[in-house]
Amino acid sequence: MGYAEVTPYTLDITLEVNGQSHDLEVDTRWTLLHVLRGELGLTGAKRGCDRGECGACTVLLDDLPVNACMTLVATISGRRVRTVEGLSSLGSLHPVQQAFLDNDGGQCGFCTPGFVMSTTSLLEKNSSPSDDEIRSALAGNICRCNAYGRIIESVRSARRAE
Amino acid sequence: MKPFQVLRPTTLDAATDALSGSGIDASILAGGTDILGEVKEGTASPAALVDITGLQGLSEIQISQKDGASIGSLVALAQIETDLGIQEHYPALSQSAASVATPQIRNVGTLGGNLCQRPRCWYYRSPLFNCLKKGGDTCYAVQGLNKYHAIFGGDGCHIVHPSDTAVALTALNASIETFGDRGLRQTDISQFFVGPETNILSETALAPGEIVTRVVLPPAAGARSIYLKAKERQAYDFALVSVAASVTVEDSTITGARLALGGVAPVPYALPEVAAAMVGTPVSDVSPRDLGQLAVRDARPMTDNTYKMRLSSNLVARAVATLLK
Amino acid sequence: MNSVIGQSVPRRDLTGKLTGDAKYAADVQLPGMLAGKILRSPHAHATVVAVDTSAASELPGVYAIVTPFDVPDGNIAPDVPILDTEVRFVGDEVAAVAAEDEFIAQHALELIQVEYAQLPFVTDPRAAIEPGAPPVHAGGNLVGGEPIILERGNVEEGFAEADIILEDSFSTPAHSGAALEPRVAVASWDGDDLTVWKSSRGVHQDQLLLSLALGMPRDSVRVIGGAMGAGYGNKDETRLSVITAVLAQRAGRPVKIETTREEEIVAGRHRHGTFTTLKMGVKSDGTVTAVHAETIMDTGAYLSSGPGVVRRAGQGALYLYRCPNVRYDGYLTYTNTPSGGSYRALGAPQGHFALELIADRAAKAAGMDPVEFRLKNHVGPEGQPGERTTPANEIIDTQPLEGGIPFSSNGLRECIERGAEAFGWSDYSPSSEENLKRGKGMAILIYRGGPGGRSIARMRFEQDGTFTMISGVMDVGEGSSTVLPQIAAEALGVDYDQVAETLGDSAITPDSPITAGSTVTFSAGLAVKQAAEDLRSRLLSSASDVLDLPQSDLELDTSGIVSQSGRGLSFADLAERTGSVEVEASVSPGSTDFIVNSFGAHFAEVEVDTDTGAVRVLRYVAAHDSGRILNPRLAVNQVEGGVSQMLGFTLTEQMLTDPAHGATLNASFLEHKSPTILEYPDIEVIFADVIDPIGPYGAKALGEPPSVGVAPAVVNAIRDATSVEVLDLPATPDRILNLLAELEDGDA
Repeated sequence: MGYAEVTPYTLDITLEVNGQSHDLEVDTRWTLLHVLRGELGLTGAKRGCDRGECGACTVLLDDLPVNACMTLVATISGRRVRTVEGLSSLGSLHPVQQAFLDNDGGQCGFCTPGFVMSTTSLLEKNSSPSDDEIRSALAGNICRCNAYGRIIESVRSARRAE
Repeated sequence: MKPFQVLRPTTLDAATDALSGSGIDASILAGGTDILGEVKEGTASPAALVDITGLQGLSEIQISQKDGASIGSLVALAQIETDLGIQEHYPALSQSAASVATPQIRNVGTLGGNLCQRPRCWYYRSPLFNCLKKGGDTCYAVQGLNKYHAIFGGDGCHIVHPSDTAVALTALNASIETFGDRGLRQTDISQFFVGPETNILSETALAPGEIVTRVVLPPAAGARSIYLKAKERQAYDFALVSVAASVTVEDSTITGARLALGGVAPVPYALPEVAAAMVGTPVSDVSPRDLGQLAVRDARPMTDNTYKMRLSSNLVARAVATLLK
Repeated sequence: MNSVIGQSVPRRDLTGKLTGDAKYAADVQLPGMLAGKILRSPHAHATVVAVDTSAASELPGVYAIVTPFDVPDGNIAPDVPILDTEVRFVGDEVAAVAAEDEFIAQHALELIQVEYAQLPFVTDPRAAIEPGAPPVHAGGNLVGGEPIILERGNVEEGFAEADIILEDSFSTPAHSGAALEPRVAVASWDGDDLTVWKSSRGVHQDQLLLSLALGMPRDSVRVIGGAMGAGYGNKDETRLSVITAVLAQRAGRPVKIETTREEEIVAGRHRHGTFTTLKMGVKSDGTVTAVHAETIMDTGAYLSSGPGVVRRAGQGALYLYRCPNVRYDGYLTYTNTPSGGSYRALGAPQGHFALELIADRAAKAAGMDPVEFRLKNHVGPEGQPGERTTPANEIIDTQPLEGGIPFSSNGLRECIERGAEAFGWSDYSPSSEENLKRGKGMAILIYRGGPGGRSIARMRFEQDGTFTMISGVMDVGEGSSTVLPQIAAEALGVDYDQVAETLGDSAITPDSPITAGSTVTFSAGLAVKQAAEDLRSRLLSSASDVLDLPQSDLELDTSGIVSQSGRGLSFADLAERTGSVEVEASVSPGSTDFIVNSFGAHFAEVEVDTDTGAVRVLRYVAAHDSGRILNPRLAVNQVEGGVSQMLGFTLTEQMLTDPAHGATLNASFLEHKSPTILEYPDIEVIFADVIDPIGPYGAKALGEPPSVGVAPAVVNAIRDATSVEVLDLPATPDRILNLLAELEDGDA
């Protein structure tokens, strides 16, 4: 093995995060998750696996849920990102967040921002999803506390609230 | 992760050049869901990643009754899953795309990437085992745990090909269009995937620098198709065994059939003998169970994967029975 | 005022988790903080002969390295030094680096040259206790040198009385709780004082262990838990935080180590794999006369909580059925595999799996329905037959061996009856298609829990007239930051929202036991209740002085102090007179007269696809006696989550070890297959109407019991559907297909 080259490569990019534009010089190895958490201080997206296998880092990239841990930030310059921090405004919860609170849609909370983002995307596309559609849309988010029953109930409630 | 460049070409020529012309070890990055995992694990350590998502013209789906379908390699799996034309004419492809991984991955994972993904063998993916596929001299699955490994064609290396769409496209008789140093070419899907006996280090016939540009499908012409996938978990699981089948029936007689198994061999495993046994047979004479048995006649299971014979056989029978219902 | 107890008040810490504001250990950012990485053994067993760090230390951006040859003396546990020159499983810690960022730290790891001398190793716990097996530790692989043998009565006599004897052997896999948050530690030094942020199930225990390992006064160590991405009983060991602290000390800068998913699964703590042989004797009328279980439990490379877990694996066999003659032999063995540890219900799921499969067979042999068999034989409120041996006035263990002691409460019969009714057990008629076979199964369970160690809580009346509940426990997702303020509010006589809470920081909270063993609501709850009652008396007494009214005329309610005469004081006015008032209560929970246990009965309907071997759980009823339910919505979430989590243990999850090399092959969410929302069945939760006389407001243990009944209920249903019985978990498609093939061959 060994490192032929140890100097990181950097690129200049722009990124719109929660409506705010950022000009960033990024190491090519940085993932979107790294930039959100480490550079922008947005720690809502979590690192549960770093391999796209758990959904704890789910954010919306141009409105589609993606795994931020598997997105090289150098490849998404100019694109629009939304994170859980961008949902609530002025201290009031987004309807999806409120539904999760009212229905106890989480336990340890580590998966919660990811579920909230997947749910937000689902309801933006389909305001009255069936239970099967809810499950399909959330199939890429693992909750190890297995609070799935309350999560489904939360999304049903948000579906009505929207 | 060792440092790498990220190159973002906007033309195919530039992309090919970046991949093979510069003399540096470069890999293609599209959705990134597979290559980035390999880079993080150290299974791959390219000096450059060539991001091809800026290439024009590779993101379209075109379908016509007369000409068949053309699907750009950068089309996301989520688009294939939900495209009404594909659902109508090539349901096996739509079903196979829907069965991949998770919504998040299908949103970014591309058709080309799904075809070109590397194997999931746990010995190959672990840095602790320098296996045949990484240039070593042992297939650790033989003496180790091989429940997910091949029951066909494991000459030396016993990986199974991980792609769902590749299995469906095999049954749908697809061609793979690629662009490389010699320009555009089309390869029959049966020639596109290669086993370890041909090239231990790669699962495809792609030349260095060559890029998958489109998948071309012949007209469905009344054929019905299906993709069935057995897995241990409903989301994010590779196939224990999958089957794709495409069958044409005219006047209650089978006039065309193509079938393939996934999860059983280093390549999507076509079943020409099963197809041959079906073509020309009146629908009422077809025995799905017998066809299922025929499908696994040549299987050579390992210590932990005998169950794949029964599973393959049952899935083939179920696919045939469902299509002829 | 309405009672706060029994109200589904919202989970208090959920809002911050929903907005991203909650701070987990990984979210801690300190000025100048470095990133740490750990070098792990590629060998299952080896001596570390030499470590050459010269190239790594010359790499720009590397600030500190620690190896077994320069590590401070100190132990994490009796069998775990900070770093060792002998490594005992693939993934064991060898050395660590702190560097400017994770990339440099990773690069530095690759530059460290380690010379290993490989040693023979053993990965199978049965082989590990054969003569001549390679010793994982000096002293042999059988922990303690002999099995623990627990016997009540005489099983030989019991089997002699039996008309029918059922016996078989079972296995359950090692599986990881795979908490979504991988272990993280942040260490920062200020002179001789150390502050550690970590994912913790108990900041006070971590503080103690860190101070012992590092040879520091306990007061010089502060452990802050923050939000915790779950542990399910583990995240107990402190090796990660000690290594982080050593690196931070050497670097002179704060260090954070975030472990990877693979490290979390391999180097964390998982449920112990077991091999159990269980034998039950019954009379022809179905009366149980003897039960004898023998379990070989694999603790892996280190002991962790193994001795407690191996004992708990026997509780079902010893106590679930009313029986004078029972015996349990527990063998805890070292192997060169990752370490087992505390994972939700600690051995009980493994033991109950064997017991409840055999119980179904016994029912069938006696010509009884499984529910009827349980109703006839389950242990009742009076406990087991026999003589009490615990001296009078001594607190009774929650997992006693002796008979002659009643339970404080026992709603097992109600769980069975109400669960069966809700499930529709007696008139169940499955609608099976040719390849989709449906069936029903059930299991019952007993679980110790509730009374834990001595627990201390504080209640503070603040200068502004508000209340704060202060406890040293951690909310690991189970809800103590909600339920403990509920208890405090109830005891004070105020609303839930009037009590703030402080948890999870060793510097500002009183010593508390760990969040494990389903003890928090019960034990910390009793301390909180006592402290709140004491504070209420203090405030009434002060108000009595201020108002010059007898205390007996005063009441405390949500508005403040009120009296029958109409004169009163708002809390703010009272606080102006009293200033801040803090009281502390310390309790040793438990009973000298009763056994405090929780109970349950689980019912499952499954559908087995005989073409693919796939098992779907269609419907599930979990009936529990956990005493009074303090917060129904949180309690339902706990039970549903516990059931679904253990569907992983039952159907998909297992840690797989390469036999020739010893490496764990599937340490990822992709391959260690935890359930997703698509596997989640329809779960109905029922709570028996039991109010326990010992627990706070009648509560008993709830967190772990839901995990105990899942595997046997589902596997019994698979047998009902298909006639094949899965003796080795998980019940994966390959196993089902192989069993179906054997069944056909047998029929042919």
